[in-house]
Amino acid sequence: MMQAPGDIQVIKEDNVTHSFCGLACVGWMYQKIKDSFFLVLGTHTCAHFLQNALGMMIFAKPRFGIALMEEGDLSKNEPTLEGIISEIKADHNPSVIFLLSSCTPEVMKVDFKGLAHLLSTPDVPVLFVPASGLVYNFTQAEDSVLSALVPFCPQAPAGQKSVVFLGSVNDITADDLRAEAEALGIPVGGFLPESRFDKMPAIGPDTVLAPIQPYLSRVAVKLSRERGCSVLHSLFPFGPDGTRAFWEDLAREFGITVDLRDREKAAWDKIRNQTELLKGKKVFLTADTMMELPLARFLHSAGADVVECSSAYINKKFHARELQALDGVRVVEQPNFHRQLEDVRRIKPDLIITSLMTANPFAGNGFVVKWSMEFMLMSIHSWSGVVTLANMFVSPLQRRSKLPAFDREVWLEGVMPSAE
Amino acid sequence: MRLAFWLYEGTALHGISRVTNSMKGVHTVYHAPQGDDYITATYTMLERTPQFPGLSISVVRGRDLAQGVSRLPATLQQVEHHYSPELIVIAPSCSTALLQEDLHQLAAHSGLPPEKILVYALNPFRVSENEAADGLLTELVKRFAQTQEKTARPSVNLLGFTSLGFHLRANLTSLRRMLQTLGITVNVVAPWGAGIDDLRKLPAAWLNIAPYREIGATAAEYLAETFDMPAIYEAPIGVEPTLAWLRSLIGKLNATAAERGVPPLVMPALNAFSLDGMSAPSGVPWFARTADMESFSNKRAFVFGDATHTVALVKFLRDELGMQIIGAGTYLERHADWVRKELEGYLPGALIVTDKFQDVAQIIDDQMPDLVCGTQMERHSCRKLDVPCMVICPPTHIENHLLGYYPFFGFDGADVIADRVYLSCKLGLEKHLIDFFGDAGLEYEESEASAPSEASVSAQADSNGHVLPEIAAEVTVNAADGEMKWSDEAETMLKKVPFFVRKKVRKNTENFAHERGESMVSIEVFRQAKESLGG
Repeated sequence: MMQAPGDIQVIKEDNVTHSFCGLACVGWMYQKIKDSFFLVLGTHTCAHFLQNALGMMIFAKPRFGIALMEEGDLSKNEPTLEGIISEIKADHNPSVIFLLSSCTPEVMKVDFKGLAHLLSTPDVPVLFVPASGLVYNFTQAEDSVLSALVPFCPQAPAGQKSVVFLGSVNDITADDLRAEAEALGIPVGGFLPESRFDKMPAIGPDTVLAPIQPYLSRVAVKLSRERGCSVLHSLFPFGPDGTRAFWEDLAREFGITVDLRDREKAAWDKIRNQTELLKGKKVFLTADTMMELPLARFLHSAGADVVECSSAYINKKFHARELQALDGVRVVEQPNFHRQLEDVRRIKPDLIITSLMTANPFAGNGFVVKWSMEFMLMSIHSWSGVVTLANMFVSPLQRRSKLPAFDREVWLEGVMPSAE
Repeated sequence: MRLAFWLYEGTALHGISRVTNSMKGVHTVYHAPQGDDYITATYTMLERTPQFPGLSISVVRGRDLAQGVSRLPATLQQVEHHYSPELIVIAPSCSTALLQEDLHQLAAHSGLPPEKILVYALNPFRVSENEAADGLLTELVKRFAQTQEKTARPSVNLLGFTSLGFHLRANLTSLRRMLQTLGITVNVVAPWGAGIDDLRKLPAAWLNIAPYREIGATAAEYLAETFDMPAIYEAPIGVEPTLAWLRSLIGKLNATAAERGVPPLVMPALNAFSLDGMSAPSGVPWFARTADMESFSNKRAFVFGDATHTVALVKFLRDELGMQIIGAGTYLERHADWVRKELEGYLPGALIVTDKFQDVAQIIDDQMPDLVCGTQMERHSCRKLDVPCMVICPPTHIENHLLGYYPFFGFDGADVIADRVYLSCKLGLEKHLIDFFGDAGLEYEESEASAPSEASVSAQADSNGHVLPEIAAEVTVNAADGEMKWSDEAETMLKKVPFFVRKKVRKNTENFAHERGESMVSIEVFRQAKESLGG
């Protein structure tokens, strides 16, 4: 295979992994956009997934639901959702309804775009969000949600130069990023998404789009094509190294030169105890949330020995800087979990970052684990997230070292008879 | 097509994997799109499995469909290479069932010997969790059970014990303790911990015990027909049902013993079943007769769940604790007729059969029972309404997968259930004191009743083991329309009512006012309501 200079070798396998489909994004997106409703056109499987794997229990009226396709619905050419949409409007009065696709209607070749168009009214648009497991993994459907929101971002006039941060984060993190940008003299145009549908940021040719989550490549490309905005290509703002690069590169887009070397050093100093512990530790990241590249890069910078970083989707352009920073690390796209399991048993990593589905079995095999999904739900962005980020890797190691010796033969007996 | 928020029963795939995940040397391959193996998380997190469940996915991608490529043969080869199971169960997903892919043919392309493969190609749009699990277990028993010599001594199989079953391990322990006391050997437990060889030797037992209506009963029926094995289908839940179960067990085994010229089993003194071997085996019969429990006679209970536990709990509450049953229901339409028959004479009205949790929540809201026995969903509904609730069956939550010994079966189980009823309900004498003296001198803040607010995105891993927060969606306790206003004085008076019954009193008073055509609860209306409703 021809390789461009500086191009990083990414090994590609067959994607036999344990991870979630794109519908998982409902779990955080409906909470982020507070006047929305997320409607999945799907089956019992979709409903069971949302309520079980994501631990979503419902107290009263959640702002997400399943238009449940039952056997009788399979023979119909086009699903009729008018009644369900009326019910949602009456009960929730949303400003926008996101209509998510799933595997079964995609196999049936339901015309989702047409359907969404038909159900839309000027007051309450219905936006199609492709999310099925036939195409989308886990966090990738946030990319679809944001793409659907593009027409509702006002056109920013030429000459209005500001940054729009791309990716859903909680309000505290958003406030923090905004304050940091303003302190550096960078005008802030907003966030995609904002917390309300009618508050989506204006985007135009002089907008600088700054991705703050690593799984949003398609909406970035779409916006640069449709609005002519530029997209920041830097590290993602995780860890002292990533945060410094992110802010320096972003400032440069605005003609501002900042030198954050001291700031970066101070941040590393603040987590010296943690990095001392991480130094030389073998860390293995199995593919799950698609945050793996920046997490591995931080670990690599912190002195850990990243023995494998795998991710369900790697975009050589969108992730170029992260891949460069991972030079020398084994990077696998769409890995095969069976192979990974054998490698893990051979390499014996000190820490495995892995999915909800695989964490406890790895622990049962004697490894120290951390849930990959936790990194999506903790405030680990920018300078204020550095300590949290470092602690998330260190705490499982420290905790395990404090527990007494564990004889698996004794203490695991009878827990899972099928494995004995 | 209907709008669904939450469903009681899991999918067919879930039912299939509950059986296969229970078994040794069996691997399931889902022919399904990315993400359908989310089911794995239910085992690794709820059961905290220390090994990887034998579940693999043969990923179906949109691109494969467009190109007419199937990865199933390759996945089967990989599974064989890495795990070499004795049996691979292949299950379709919604999408592949819809595509009507021929799983038999695809499996044959893997080159694996056909005897190693079982294609369980049910229709996932028609079949749900319990039916799929029961059906697959029966298929497996049919395929492997072999005619053979009976064991020399009395022995039983325990059927239907399945991964993620309600208090599964404790129930098994409770049964094993009783069987041991009687000198009965357990031949095979299936599917929990069983391998293919265990299935082969099922007919060696003298009798099958299949206490769950949902899973295992069909396999026991097959074994009865084909191998002439007697079976016991009752669940030993409660003291009297346990005694009846023991007598039935001994009777049936002794019939076989007589045929075989083996000395009969003898029912020992009941203290032999106690934990220390020298006490009453259960505290329930005495407990039910204590003066404290007298206050339970007017407690109103509502029961909703699967078939087995709904029937058992209604009987236990009424027959053994002397509570009033104000209603019961099940989400398993398939077993509704059986439940109805079992509960004849127990219910004041018709059995409720629904798979919509909102309907059940509405009934609880209308009736305000003193105790609800339900699923995890009823626990949530009741929390909102401040109604005492205990979980008696699946669907469950990590809170129902505890480490301690809390069986529902046997004498030990009767004690556990009675304790839970007692702890869930408001107490007897203490309640009278508080009712009589208001809040007994304690100032309770109104905030206790405040509803949970919407969770923030920034939550970390919570106690329930899920990383995402339990999402407390918007709570609308009072419907906006028809909401009854309260005068300030009436509101002040309401605050004198003990906090834990305040919601119920508010609701009853509002109903009273509504019936009388009042638009507002004044102090006068409140007084009249107290007089007319009592307490």
